[in-house]
Amino acid sequence: MNLPGLKLEKVLVLTGREAVKISVYSIIVGFVIFSIFLLLEGTNPIDAYKHIFSFAFDPSLGLVPTIHRAMFLLFATLAFILPLKAGLWNIGMEGQLYLGTVGAFAVAYAWGDLPSGVLIPLMLIAAGLFGAGYGALAGFLRGKLGVNEIVVTIMLNLVAYWLILFLIQGPWAGPTEFRSRELPASAIAPEIWEVPFTVFLVLAISVIIYFLSARSNIGYQIKTFGSSSSAAEHAGMNPLKISIFVMVVGGAIAGLSAYHMWAGNPTFYLIPAPQTYKAVGDFTYWGIMVGLICLLNPLAAIPMSIFVGALKEGTSAIVRRLRLPVGLDLLLLGTLFLTFVAFQFFHRYRIKRIRGKG
Amino acid sequence: MWSFIARSLEISTIFLLAAIGELLDQRAGVLNIGVEGLMLFGAASGFVTALWTGSLLLGFVVGTALGGIFGLLHGFFSITLKADQVVSGMGIVVFAVGFTTYWADRYSGPLPAELSSPRIGGFLSPMFFLAVALVFIIWFVLSKTHLGLKIKSVGEDPSVAEATGINVVRIRYLCVIVGGLLGGLAGAFLSLAYFGIWGHLLTGGMGWIALALVPFSLWRPTMLLAGALIFGIVWQFSISPEAIAPGLGIPLGIIRMSPFIATIIVLTVISLPRIRRKWGLMKPAALGKPYIKE
Repeated sequence: MNLPGLKLEKVLVLTGREAVKISVYSIIVGFVIFSIFLLLEGTNPIDAYKHIFSFAFDPSLGLVPTIHRAMFLLFATLAFILPLKAGLWNIGMEGQLYLGTVGAFAVAYAWGDLPSGVLIPLMLIAAGLFGAGYGALAGFLRGKLGVNEIVVTIMLNLVAYWLILFLIQGPWAGPTEFRSRELPASAIAPEIWEVPFTVFLVLAISVIIYFLSARSNIGYQIKTFGSSSSAAEHAGMNPLKISIFVMVVGGAIAGLSAYHMWAGNPTFYLIPAPQTYKAVGDFTYWGIMVGLICLLNPLAAIPMSIFVGALKEGTSAIVRRLRLPVGLDLLLLGTLFLTFVAFQFFHRYRIKRIRGKG
Repeated sequence: MWSFIARSLEISTIFLLAAIGELLDQRAGVLNIGVEGLMLFGAASGFVTALWTGSLLLGFVVGTALGGIFGLLHGFFSITLKADQVVSGMGIVVFAVGFTTYWADRYSGPLPAELSSPRIGGFLSPMFFLAVALVFIIWFVLSKTHLGLKIKSVGEDPSVAEATGINVVRIRYLCVIVGGLLGGLAGAFLSLAYFGIWGHLLTGGMGWIALALVPFSLWRPTMLLAGALIFGIVWQFSISPEAIAPGLGIPLGIIRMSPFIATIIVLTVISLPRIRRKWGLMKPAALGKPYIKE
């Protein structure tokens, strides 16, 4: 690409500050493009954006759902980040979420009369284990046979989607069609400062993942493997072990998000209708964008998740309030994703003006 | 029984169209994991166009064209802007989910009866033969023509290709646009001919199967044809099992999983070292890597 008067220059090291700047620009451009759709719907974009954020952060309206949603996204983001540090694309957060759902609900239905102090940890363990197992499958196939993990994780997502449908239509069917039975009261997540305790769990996990990848031996191995798998093998690292490890941890984190979602939000406390749980599952794909925007930094993912969670809650609210077409909230997120992809260019290049000769 | 076979072949048609386009992309070294998105755009825009204009043909044209536009967009992101191909493909899927939900879900429902697609002998859409012909055309182009040689060399090693005077960027754009057009056509065929309806996220994972068929085929068009035929039957069985096995009573959720489980099994088998030794991989060496001139 050659433009008159401008010159492309390679970015050798992308600093965190520049990455933040690029992300802010990409979000602004995304908002501008999305304004076209708002105008087409006869809505003043400035008003709409004001509504979105004032709703999302209003303590009496959207703040609690925003935090809940944002932390759900943080689970998904962390589940995506760690495998990618090793060069594996975990697109399977959706399936791991569903499998975590199976684990958590199976425990809750089987031992519903246990006291909360025992039942909840058991549910969390089951959710984590089921998610981890699902992740391990993809990690194993990739590490052992080189089967493309993107395709495998997506297939596993679709399998798990139908598994949940089978469960809520069959063994776990509730009194309302296409919904599961309610969770027993002892399974509901206790709250700390009006939010479910799992909010603090996921914050702790981000700190752990940060230290694991930045300071530990295994984190070093993961990073080496991610930048060059052949170099890692020469250094005596075991590719199969690393592939399985990252996918197990990623899968476990995504599995835990199931408990957070269904047992931590009063609108659920059960597995909802397919369209609803699919929408929740689809939201995990946002973990990909958040993870990449944050350059795979688990701590930077916290504020970014809150921002995207707020956008999602706020847009859903204006869709309801201003009677806009359903799906407009999904469209905003889609638009932002595309502008983000375009702005990835600036992760590699910067545009310089040529002075003097022309 | 006959209608089951005809319906399976129509599903195979959809897989074939989308997957042969993706195969062409990949042979030129561009991975577009957004096939599901291309199909969604093609399906939604084709359906809405046919509904508005009352013309089936126009529906197909617009659906195909929109697929091409998003193929071009993927090309712009991944070739010109050198974005990561996986991220760009994901972006297209996520945008497609949002856009088609917002724009097309309000038209959910069947096409009017006068817009039903023609079928040979009342059974099978002629599109099937077009899709098979396309597979052979692309096979011919890739293995017998000068253009095919250029495409393959761009997919194997773009800098060597560039050094021999091939315009890497142009070849890659050509392939992603054709791939996009075919993805859009596959989607339009799904909504306009196969179903004759639009509903929320109509593709239901078919684009992902089409994507998986490419590594399954070991990047060979003829293997792709076989794979699409098999998966056409598997998919059709999963949506109407009673046509083959009435009274089997397998719950819906379980039966609908089967194509996806089958995909994982098939991909695993094809990756076994024994199979790999027997069938050389035609996987393009530069697949998924943006081409950056030094």
